[in-house]
Amino acid sequence: MIGTVFRVMLLSLVRDRGALLLAFVLPPLMFLVFAEVFSGAGDEDLTLRIAVLDESSDLAGIRLGEALLALDGIEASERSVANRAELEAAVRDGRADAALWIRGRPGSDAGDGPWLEVLGDGSRALAVAVLSGRVQGVLQREFPDLALARASDLVESVLGPYSPAQRAALEQRLQRLSSEASVVERAPAALDFDQRLLGGGRAMDPGVSYYAAAVAILFLMFAAMQGAISLVDERSSGIVDRLAAGPGGIVVVVLGKGLFLTAQGLVQAGLIFAVAWVVYGLAWPTRFVPWSITALLAAAVAAWMGLLLAALCQSRQQAQTASAFVVLILAAIGGSMVPRFLMPIWLRDLGWLTPNAWVIEAWHGTLWRQQSLTELLPAWAVLAGFTLAAMVLALWLSNRNSLSK
Amino acid sequence: MLAIRNCGFSYRSTVVLDRLDLDLQGGEVLALLGPNGAGKSTLIRCVCGRLAPDRGDVRVVGQDPRRSPVARAAIGLVPQQIALYPFLTVRENLTAFAALAGVARSARSGAVARTLEGCELETVATRRAGALSGGWQRRLNIACAIVHQPRMLLLDEPTVGIDPPARAQIEALLQRLALTGIAILITSHELDQLERLADRAAFLREGRIVADDTPTVLLDRAFGAQRQCRVVFRVAPQAQQQLRLRVLGLQAERDDLRCWAGLIECAAAEALPAEFAGCGEVERVQLQRPGLSALWRMIYGTEPERAA
Repeated sequence: MIGTVFRVMLLSLVRDRGALLLAFVLPPLMFLVFAEVFSGAGDEDLTLRIAVLDESSDLAGIRLGEALLALDGIEASERSVANRAELEAAVRDGRADAALWIRGRPGSDAGDGPWLEVLGDGSRALAVAVLSGRVQGVLQREFPDLALARASDLVESVLGPYSPAQRAALEQRLQRLSSEASVVERAPAALDFDQRLLGGGRAMDPGVSYYAAAVAILFLMFAAMQGAISLVDERSSGIVDRLAAGPGGIVVVVLGKGLFLTAQGLVQAGLIFAVAWVVYGLAWPTRFVPWSITALLAAAVAAWMGLLLAALCQSRQQAQTASAFVVLILAAIGGSMVPRFLMPIWLRDLGWLTPNAWVIEAWHGTLWRQQSLTELLPAWAVLAGFTLAAMVLALWLSNRNSLSK
Repeated sequence: MLAIRNCGFSYRSTVVLDRLDLDLQGGEVLALLGPNGAGKSTLIRCVCGRLAPDRGDVRVVGQDPRRSPVARAAIGLVPQQIALYPFLTVRENLTAFAALAGVARSARSGAVARTLEGCELETVATRRAGALSGGWQRRLNIACAIVHQPRMLLLDEPTVGIDPPARAQIEALLQRLALTGIAILITSHELDQLERLADRAAFLREGRIVADDTPTVLLDRAFGAQRQCRVVFRVAPQAQQQLRLRVLGLQAERDDLRCWAGLIECAAAEALPAEFAGCGEVERVQLQRPGLSALWRMIYGTEPERAA
């Protein structure tokens, strides 16, 4: 019987050209548009969660870190980071949007590189750029002697050498600034620091894997909701009356629909990632097993949430309005439209209540961060939980509706 | 086939079914009649096992339809709406509903072929349900309910919204089905059709069966020798003759004093031409046995409702 419902849904979809376009052509197209538009976008008014590793053993380093964390829009994601590996892990796992590695005294030479490094994940390059700007601002405000020394060198190189009197006055002023504002030594290149993006050195644009995941779950939800509305249609057309009176009851019908919508979602997700693989070189085939597990869970959660919504609604119009609302809200909060690190912290935390965030996390973790199956387990467990809860509720509500209409 | 005993059901404080008893045998056609809100749909849901009565007992083939898949498999339901998959062909719809009703895969094609033939749907078997005319869709709607060969068929307004020829075809189909021994419970506002079709008519009022017998017995009991009479005069009768006509139980039709109609005794109707020979002159007298519509008016005090 479940197979029959599956077949009915399949034939109905195959023969409805509009639904076919919506299900299988629009999602890859939308992905292409989103990937092109957003993978290089920027915004300077955002709150960043940063991790700081201070290896300078210097008061100035502590002051720099504190001054940075005191700024609006900067929050500490990690209270204590012991070493560089932990710092990079925080960035890779997405616990920190970007990180600051203070390697030596401000302005000093750390030996194998500059005294300060700003790190970020390749998929959040914008966060690195924003943090670098904020670091520049703090350095200029908290360490004015460094800024003045650098500016004076620039002036001298352009306009010619200072007179002895000017040089003496400058030295005096620099010394005073140094004793008042900081304890650092004078260094012309003190404000220079490194920016580095993590991501394994792959040629692929990290935005591609993010937006493939983000667009896929958005359209899985959208298509599943539209497909699930057939349950409302069948209720109002009397088909549910007819089937509920049959030996299988309504549960068989809803299970069949759930199975079909899950399969439809798998195909949709496959199409989107296949396009990303062909056009952008996304490393999809090499990570096919974890990708498939996430795809199955993403399709199932979308299918059962759609059926739950259909079970809750009384009419097609109500279901369409509710589905548009739910899909868009989940997409907006869950990071399908805008990366979540660009959102306020509270909204980011709220995002964990949406399946979108977990699906994106799992797929992005699979394809960009190259996470292991163990590392992906928490996201899969949450998605399985969402699916199970939606399935139980949808079946219970459908059965209750069919018995008490 | 169907046995309902002392069945009661209430929505909150509203009593919908009240100590209702009803039986239906194989091969019998029972017309369930009543105005909107009388409890017909609730009764059908109880029979299908979709509602649990607050009290009493509903048995289909001797079993509780809420608990027994065997009882539910014995039921074929034809909802008022066109309950079909519009993108599937006629044959595919029948196959799908046969499968969902539990017909084994090996028996499915035979059941579909038999139903196509029985419902005279072979010519449209490969057409999509959504592309059929209203009459064909109604016929397919019934076909989908009998494809698994149920022992009892429940029809809720099966001919609503279709033209008279299509209605006649469905009526013929239901008569053929009844001859196969299937028990049929039908609700409809097409009272003339029900009168031709039904072996029994049960009138439901405020959740109770207030009349249940063959239409002939019910009409004889209600009207005896009375007939539905329509008299047409050549000239409008005078005031005194009008009074006489009113005493007999006739009323002028739409303020046309030449045409009078109403229920009167058969003998009185036959005497009308002689009685009015010198005044107004009777052009013609039409006598008709009162039907279920007249009984409806008597029981409910309103005109029969028309289907939408």
